[in-house]
Amino acid sequence: MKRIVALATAVLMAQLVAAQGAPIKIGGIWPLSDITGKQGSAAAQLAVAEINKAGGVLGRQLELIVVDDELKADKAAAAVEKLVTVDKVDVLVGGMASGAELGKIPAFKKYGKVVIATGAAGSGTVEKALGPSPDSDFYFHLHPWDYNQGASYSEGWDAIQAQYPNMKIKKIFLAYEEGAFGKSSWDQTKVLFGGRYTVDGAPFKSAAMGGGDYASMLEAAKDYKPDLFIWAGYDADALPMLEQAKAMKFNPGIYLGAPPGWPIGFGTSRLSANVMLYGMWAPAMNDTNKASKKFYDGFVAKFKEEPATYFAPLSYSAIFILADAIKAAGTVETAALIKALKATKYESPLGEVITFSKSNIIAHQGIKRQKILQWQAGRQEVIWPLEAKTEVPVYPFPQWK
Amino acid sequence: MASKRIKTMATMAGAAAFVALAIWKPTVLIYGTQQAGLYASIAIPMGLVLGIVHIVNLAHGEFMMVAAYAAYSLSMATGMDPLIALIPTAAATSLFGFLVYRLTIRNALKAPELNQLILTFGLGITLSQITNILFTSQTRKLSLDYVSASVTIGELSFGIWSFVFVAAAIAMTVGLKLFLTRTMMGKAAVAVGQNPRGAAIVGIDVDRTYGFIFALALAMVGAVGALFLTKSSIFPGVGGPFTMKSFCLVAMAGVGNIPGILAASLLLGLSEAFLRVFRELRGWADIVFFVLIIAVILGRSLKERKS
Repeated sequence: MKRIVALATAVLMAQLVAAQGAPIKIGGIWPLSDITGKQGSAAAQLAVAEINKAGGVLGRQLELIVVDDELKADKAAAAVEKLVTVDKVDVLVGGMASGAELGKIPAFKKYGKVVIATGAAGSGTVEKALGPSPDSDFYFHLHPWDYNQGASYSEGWDAIQAQYPNMKIKKIFLAYEEGAFGKSSWDQTKVLFGGRYTVDGAPFKSAAMGGGDYASMLEAAKDYKPDLFIWAGYDADALPMLEQAKAMKFNPGIYLGAPPGWPIGFGTSRLSANVMLYGMWAPAMNDTNKASKKFYDGFVAKFKEEPATYFAPLSYSAIFILADAIKAAGTVETAALIKALKATKYESPLGEVITFSKSNIIAHQGIKRQKILQWQAGRQEVIWPLEAKTEVPVYPFPQWK
Repeated sequence: MASKRIKTMATMAGAAAFVALAIWKPTVLIYGTQQAGLYASIAIPMGLVLGIVHIVNLAHGEFMMVAAYAAYSLSMATGMDPLIALIPTAAATSLFGFLVYRLTIRNALKAPELNQLILTFGLGITLSQITNILFTSQTRKLSLDYVSASVTIGELSFGIWSFVFVAAAIAMTVGLKLFLTRTMMGKAAVAVGQNPRGAAIVGIDVDRTYGFIFALALAMVGAVGALFLTKSSIFPGVGGPFTMKSFCLVAMAGVGNIPGILAASLLLGLSEAFLRVFRELRGWADIVFFVLIIAVILGRSLKERKS
């Protein structure tokens, strides 16, 4: 009998030691054919490599297992199933498109693993499906919701006009792509700016969806004579729309683009000068932010390319936030990890200290503010928030030469 | 006699609509014609392949996308303007097309048509996936000053670069007309298109003719791909929507009717531009395409039944 007890104890001890030495598994889900997911997952791998090089977490190495969601809800849901049941991951990170994120939610709820979400702005779909606390307490949403974005733009334009009195905005025109992204931008713009500004808009078919002719939309915008012209479309629209605007001699006071990413080499085009944009991060922040520079240098050294989208520093931050919380909790057990994540205070490369607080529905919302930037001399400069600015804005948008 | 009268009346109605548009909303004519030029220049090579080789090439748009990437790479590597890169791109695409024909399509010519559709569909997916691996999905665009060239008449300023597609479409139509009617190879191609077995009996090398026509169409696709690069952003999925549009334009024109593709494109381009003028109807601009194709094909089948 004594021998059996000793043997069982030895086996249990051996299992415990093996578990302690085994890596902590993180399941990452991003759209790998898209630059946001490609660079987001690469940045997450960079964070894992840096943490492992520094000794890992709780004496264990981190292991990131990445699955491509192909921007599709069904693939995203299958990715969660595979990561949890086959790879036996401890936690989940990632995400970009709201549609794909929506597909994951039933599986997220089924398994209840801690999730650090790097994407999905659609509050009407994703946040609604997550539901309020405590059912969604496992979900830590880093990316701002659409209403957070809208509110921060409104705040930003107020602050910019107060700081630079020559910049006057009364009329806003939104050019929006015909799909769900554009229509949701149009609805948000009417709600957020409709009271204080005169707002008009027109749809266009994005080049990304087989369109690419902006003439009728630009004609409507030109007739409206807006102070602020915003287009909500995709990177494929950026330069062709500018070329057509130039040909039609359309000169709004401010010309602003809000695509998820910009085409390769956009900054090298002369047409990019003084185009404004919404975003969360730009390499220009390396001049003023140490965390940004550390991330940027590490990324360029490892991948021999520049991070082209804010999803890279966002995903990098997600891994560090997770590692810090596991360290604080001393375990990957869900309840303890949620408690530790609630206390997060992470100085991110995005230029702000990330903490989690309540949003309209869920209990754990990370970043709530976006930034207003401007292309100047080929690089994106932050012009708002004013405390994080890297340049003063150039206004008005230059007349076409 | 009655048919002649109907044609005369239709021509007069068309001319009256043209004049009315020119006075009321000249931009509909300008942008509609420019868009029609783009549609036609992409669809004409498909019309040639469908009319002669009788293959619905579902990789048509992807071939154009590959050509645009080839012209882009050449321009980036050598600093060559895409208008010059157009020549080597057309030659390379033609050679590539010939190889694809010899290695794949040729083997499916005698198989049921569904096999050909699946084959070219698969080719299209392969081409876009390989491009995705090589270039990633991130959008690329050359910034060229002449693309923003414009003309100002009174209050109206409009871009003129896109008229290059109109010129390209007309040049291809005229060139093909001359080729098919004035050259031995062209006449042989028409004969093969009408009756391959009969053409073989009279001594025409059918296989060689098919290969030549496919390579010629791909050369045109290559040239259009380089032109497309001047105006549009490129990414692996950029060609797909043009396959469907080209196929429908060829169907509207009638298989083998190359000048008809020009007319169908003009009808489509002007209709889209017309609907986009009205705020409430902008969303219908895409649907007009399907309405037109259904109307034309239905009208044609009714006419054939009647005759």
